[in-house]
Amino acid sequence: MAKSLAAEPAGLGRVMSPSGTDYSRALAVRERRFATALLAPAFLALMATTTFPLLYLIWTSVHRMDLAMPFADGFVGFDNYRELLQDSRFWASLAVSLIYTGTTVVLQVVIGLALALLVMGMKRGQGLFRIIAILPVVLSPAVVGMVWRTFMLAPEFGIVDYFAIMAGLGSQNWLGDPTLALVSVVVIHTWQWTPFAFMVLLASLAALPDDIYEAARIDRASAWQRFKRITLPLLRPAIVMVIIMRTMVALTAFAAIFTVTGGGPGTATEILNLYAYRKSFTELSIGYGSALAVALLIVTVLISAVLFAVRRAR
Amino acid sequence: MNMRGQVHFDRIVKMHGNFSALKGIDFTIQPGEFFALLGPSGSGKSTTLRILAGLDMPTSGTVVIDGKDVTALDAKDRDVAMVFQSYALYPHMTVFENIAFPLEMAKVGKAEIEPAVREAARKVKIDHLLDRKPGQLSGGQQQRCALARAIVRKARLFLLDEPLSNLDAKLRLETRIELKKLQRSLGVTAVYVTHDQEEAMTLADRMAVFMEGQIQQIGRPSEVFAKPNSVDVAAFIGSPPMNLIEGRYADGHVEIEGHRLRTSHQIAGSRNVIVGIRPGAMRLEAGGLPATVDLVEDLGDTAVLDLTLGGATLRARVSDGPVPKEGQAVSVTARPEDIHLFDATTRKRL
Ligand SMILES: Nc1ncnc2c1ncn2[C@@H]1O[C@H](COP(=O)(O)OP(=O)(O)O)[C@@H](O)[C@H]1O
Ligand SMILES: [Mg+2]
Repeated sequence: MAKSLAAEPAGLGRVMSPSGTDYSRALAVRERRFATALLAPAFLALMATTTFPLLYLIWTSVHRMDLAMPFADGFVGFDNYRELLQDSRFWASLAVSLIYTGTTVVLQVVIGLALALLVMGMKRGQGLFRIIAILPVVLSPAVVGMVWRTFMLAPEFGIVDYFAIMAGLGSQNWLGDPTLALVSVVVIHTWQWTPFAFMVLLASLAALPDDIYEAARIDRASAWQRFKRITLPLLRPAIVMVIIMRTMVALTAFAAIFTVTGGGPGTATEILNLYAYRKSFTELSIGYGSALAVALLIVTVLISAVLFAVRRAR
Repeated sequence: MNMRGQVHFDRIVKMHGNFSALKGIDFTIQPGEFFALLGPSGSGKSTTLRILAGLDMPTSGTVVIDGKDVTALDAKDRDVAMVFQSYALYPHMTVFENIAFPLEMAKVGKAEIEPAVREAARKVKIDHLLDRKPGQLSGGQQQRCALARAIVRKARLFLLDEPLSNLDAKLRLETRIELKKLQRSLGVTAVYVTHDQEEAMTLADRMAVFMEGQIQQIGRPSEVFAKPNSVDVAAFIGSPPMNLIEGRYADGHVEIEGHRLRTSHQIAGSRNVIVGIRPGAMRLEAGGLPATVDLVEDLGDTAVLDLTLGGATLRARVSDGPVPKEGQAVSVTARPEDIHLFDATTRKRL
């Protein structure tokens, strides 16, 4: 039985399969070579722009490379890393990074989901809402930082400060006070990137079938129960995906904070990325800066490993 | 038995923009009745069921369940169970969780849920599949899961929207019989939507025939079959459908293509009519209408003949006697009481 089944399509197989005859085998080899030739430039470019700089980064991180004191340069082994573990500013910047990432990601998902649910319920104007929502995303983070710094947060003139005064809170030094500055950069990042979470979750929501919500109404589920028992579980893959993508971006955020506070006041908004930058290009300790960058890379990889494990779980 | 589940529809109208999906629906369903909404696709059956379930609001009119006006009540407060045509199972829950869901929503205790779910699953023969997700079930099993979810909570109304239409023919027949037994044993009021007249005929205690947003006729299936009150209903009920031929009535006879047949109808005067004769009521006997056999469909115990009679085509189902050959000339007739007459202009039964 099995034999006859296998025998039947053999005629077809000879024509189709690359290993059928010498001729087709030669053709397959030629085709594979051609494919390799086509792929090679892109592959080399990718190597040159990702793998090579990464290896170079690790290489510099085990050296002392100080542009201010070039005479002291040389291989130092893990000295930079040992120093890093003792460095309270490293731990502080790591803490700022984690706070910044945690709060912005949670806010983006919660606000994005709330907006998506709201817009799904709208009878008209959905299209307009989507267009307005996409605007912050297409702006450069550096531009966003400048806009917030000048139009929104400037004392007396900024829109946010104006509302604070109107609300009786008085004018605040939004970027000068350590706590307010951290809140401000979190708000700015959330403002810019919530639309991304909103759009992904809106698309997932729109793809959920209507009939199960009707079934749930028949089954006497309240609006809250329908959200908790049906919407959330079905949206879970999309939510986890948004969390993963936004976490990666938040951990390596740079431009907006750089233009708004530059990491200050003091080190109040200095995320790890910014500290590595300052060490390397302000204090010119490239070796130590590289070690900081490698540490950031390790943190990022660890967190994404955890998140992907969560995604795979059930 | 329980006296819950009485339904009354009073002048229900449903508009979609300028289009009226329902043009004034009235009916009453008695407790424990199996009531079918029968009609061609697009005639407003699902709309009616959804308004009864509380999933859609009527544009005007009142829905009364058990003496209480529920028109403004949402589905979740109506205490009705429903089987959707698409089944609408919760894809992320197991069969057990799907069936348990309506009980959990009603705050039934954990200890009571487990046996209730098993009992419902056993009734529809899926108690061995409780750990599966809907995506791992066949169409028939999904359908049973949807049934179990609907019967588990013993709601006062059991609504079904074409529940068998996605099953293959054999399974459809089996499930149809089980469904009837299930409804009998539960003693619950069932409202059943279908476009399949055979399903409605076999299942329903009474049925409402829908056409273009209106009910054409309500009655027991046998009544509707025996006395369709319009040409449209006559053409819809019965398989193969009733022969409908233009003719003329005069003093106890109808004249078709120049030939006369006696009818038991007594109407004053003479008038243009549409004559209806069921294929099964046609007899191959001498002294009737001369016709030619076009096609013979032999179904084993019966045969369906396509006949040409002047410009008209008729179908006859014969179950005894010799089956004529194609091309043969025959004479067809019907007993006077088997001849239905409809007015040629109003298309209503005379
Ligand atoms: N949401 C809607 N918008 C516009 N027309 C609708 C809508 N729902 C149903 N209809 C129309 O109402 C009529 C009745 O539909 P329905 O009750 O689903 O018919 P069926 O008898 O096949 O179940 C159909 O012509 C359908 O196109
Ligand atoms: Mg329908």
